[in-house]
Amino acid sequence: MPSLDEPPNRVITVLGLLALVLVWVLDLGTVQPNRIVPGTGYGLFAAAGWLGAVTVSAGLCVLMALAVLPLRRRYTLLGILLTLALAALPDLLVIFTSAHLPKDSPYARTAVGAGFWSLLFLLVLMLIEVVGRLRIGRRGQLGILVVILAGWALLIRQGGLDSLSLMREFSNRPDQFLQALWAHLALALGAVAISFVLAFALVLKMMRSEAWRRPVFGVVSFLQTIPSLALFGLLIAPLSALTAAFPLLQSLGIRGIGWAPALLALIAYSLLPMVRNTFVALTEVPEAVIDAGRGMGMTERQLFLQARLPLAIPVIIEGVRITAIQAMGLTAVAALIGAGGFGTFIFQGLGQAAMDLVMLGALPTIGLAIAADVVLSTLANALQPRPAAALPQ
Amino acid sequence: MIELKNVTRRFGQTVAVDHIDLTVETGEVCVLVGSSGCGKSTTLRMINRLLPASSGEILVDGEDVTGMDLQRLRLNMGYAIQGTGLFPHWSVARNIALVPRLLKWPKERIDARVTELLQMLEMDPASFADKYPQQLSGGQAQRVGVARALAADPNILLMDEPFGALDAITRENLQLEMLRLQRQLKKTTVFVTHDIDEALRLATRIAVMDQGRIVQHDTPENILRRPASDFVENLVGKQDRGLKLMALRPVRDLMTPHDKPRPAEPGADGLKEDDSLRLALSVMLWQDLRQVAVFDHQGNETGVLLRERLIEGGV
Ligand SMILES: Nc1ncnc2c1ncn2[C@@H]1O[C@H](COP(=O)(O)OP(=O)(O)OP(=O)(O)O)[C@@H](O)[C@H]1O
Ligand SMILES: [Mg+2]
Repeated sequence: MPSLDEPPNRVITVLGLLALVLVWVLDLGTVQPNRIVPGTGYGLFAAAGWLGAVTVSAGLCVLMALAVLPLRRRYTLLGILLTLALAALPDLLVIFTSAHLPKDSPYARTAVGAGFWSLLFLLVLMLIEVVGRLRIGRRGQLGILVVILAGWALLIRQGGLDSLSLMREFSNRPDQFLQALWAHLALALGAVAISFVLAFALVLKMMRSEAWRRPVFGVVSFLQTIPSLALFGLLIAPLSALTAAFPLLQSLGIRGIGWAPALLALIAYSLLPMVRNTFVALTEVPEAVIDAGRGMGMTERQLFLQARLPLAIPVIIEGVRITAIQAMGLTAVAALIGAGGFGTFIFQGLGQAAMDLVMLGALPTIGLAIAADVVLSTLANALQPRPAAALPQ
Repeated sequence: MIELKNVTRRFGQTVAVDHIDLTVETGEVCVLVGSSGCGKSTTLRMINRLLPASSGEILVDGEDVTGMDLQRLRLNMGYAIQGTGLFPHWSVARNIALVPRLLKWPKERIDARVTELLQMLEMDPASFADKYPQQLSGGQAQRVGVARALAADPNILLMDEPFGALDAITRENLQLEMLRLQRQLKKTTVFVTHDIDEALRLATRIAVMDQGRIVQHDTPENILRRPASDFVENLVGKQDRGLKLMALRPVRDLMTPHDKPRPAEPGADGLKEDDSLRLALSVMLWQDLRQVAVFDHQGNETGVLLRERLIEGGV
């Protein structure tokens, strides 16, 4: 009788082995007496005690076993186990801090070590592999993400991670953090929205007159090639000159540094992916389709609204997605010219050699980029005008 | 009725259509045939004004098309093209409903019409209505394209190589389907092809085009018997003409009828009245018969076809 078992999975086995090695070799966390002094590192055994060390090692071994043993539903089991492991992972840090943080020193703090990051990263890779094997759709992926994040949020709520230096940096400046969040979102999303409108108008013009195509593509491609720092810098001088000439602008908050040049630069960067995707999407509708529709009496407007646009929307949103992810990252750089946002923490942290302050800026930036990705790809799926079976493969 | 009077179309320096005159009578199938680039599509597309004519006049039922409202003109002309041009994000039913929806028919009427058309084209409505173009075979997609062109019962059909991309067997099936429909519907049709056999089979009259001009406009039989030039003669195939002529005529024309139809003996085989003389000849040669029985649609034997008669009178 042929076996119904799924073949063993090598990827997960290798990742598991790697995780096992790294988590034993690298420091799980460090304890610092204060923010500046370098801390002492603790390995897995020292940090989490024998119980923690055994749990982690045994857990990884179980994962590897599930990946190779002859099993029928290995990926379902692996998926559940990995989701739970990831949701509970920060508990390791709680155990670590409660064991090693000096109770009497108010400045003492713990920091996440390379061992923990490796474990987190490798578990995520394993989960991605499982999700791929199980062909879990967007909704399922979102569900898994929610379970994991809920686990973390619960722990943070209960204060288990308060002594983490990352949390310390946060609780020292919750107002600044919120402010940075809003500034970051406003800049990035503002740039995306404005460049979307601009790009759409440009593309409509390009569709009507061929003469516009080459110059528009030339300019937006050129803009994309300027290094971001240079573009931010380049805008300082002309904007300063402008505001010197027109004081009214100054009263609107437009200055050589700050949000105005940052927004302009972000829009400039966003134009290429936006224009390219929108143009390709709206023009790649097969000529025969347009010809048939037109020949049977559809007006240009009906053709645009009923054929070109609905067929183009997923590709257009794909352009918005790329642009949004890119803008979330670039906005961090814009902090250099005083635009605010999470970049402020990154550059402050770099200046003070406080890595956890850098993290306080970097992690939310990554989070926002991922959120933009998730939201917009879900939207693109939802607005797909035809069912999956009807898509060309 | 469609009339083209001294119509010319230029693209820059090239003259795609060169001072042509052409009249397509009501209910007639006019097939434009000719080699690639001779101006067939250009001629067709000037009729529904997808291309404006550079000069000359095009009249539909006596009215100059340039003066007509563009949408009104096109909504009354079914249009089917090579590669179908079906909307990929619409189901088969929605595609067929294109023109009725533009005409704002009530929903029940549209649904009934879609079902009727699918049945007419021998596609099961239950299994095809909700399919998407990507899920159809080439022949099925082309049928849907024809159904879409017929949907609002237009007076005129414009077809530009609708079966051009199909394999020989599917193409022949669809041609027979077209003939059947045309006998029923009698649409004024302009049909473009570069396949002379397709033209001979479908046309009431053929317009042979060469380099933007119409070199001969006549019935299939006359095109075969009296080609106007070497070009036409080569197009129809010099040596092959005898068989092509036989392919045009039904067995009914030459058979010796019985006094009254006789019920057929079970298992008897023979020809149908609608079969072509060419097929009859082939059957006789292959089975070495001096005569073949001929049956009508009910399966009654209505006469016999004699070999001598066929050889003498077939062409
Ligand atoms: N949009 C256009 N711009 C420039 N030239 C064109 C255009 N459309 C057609 N032509 C030219 O006009 C001539 C006739 O073209 P047409 O499409 O009518 O040929 P056809 O008989 O339909 O050929 P085929 O059998 O290949 O479809 C060709 O020389 C072609 O190059
Ligand atoms: Mg053509």
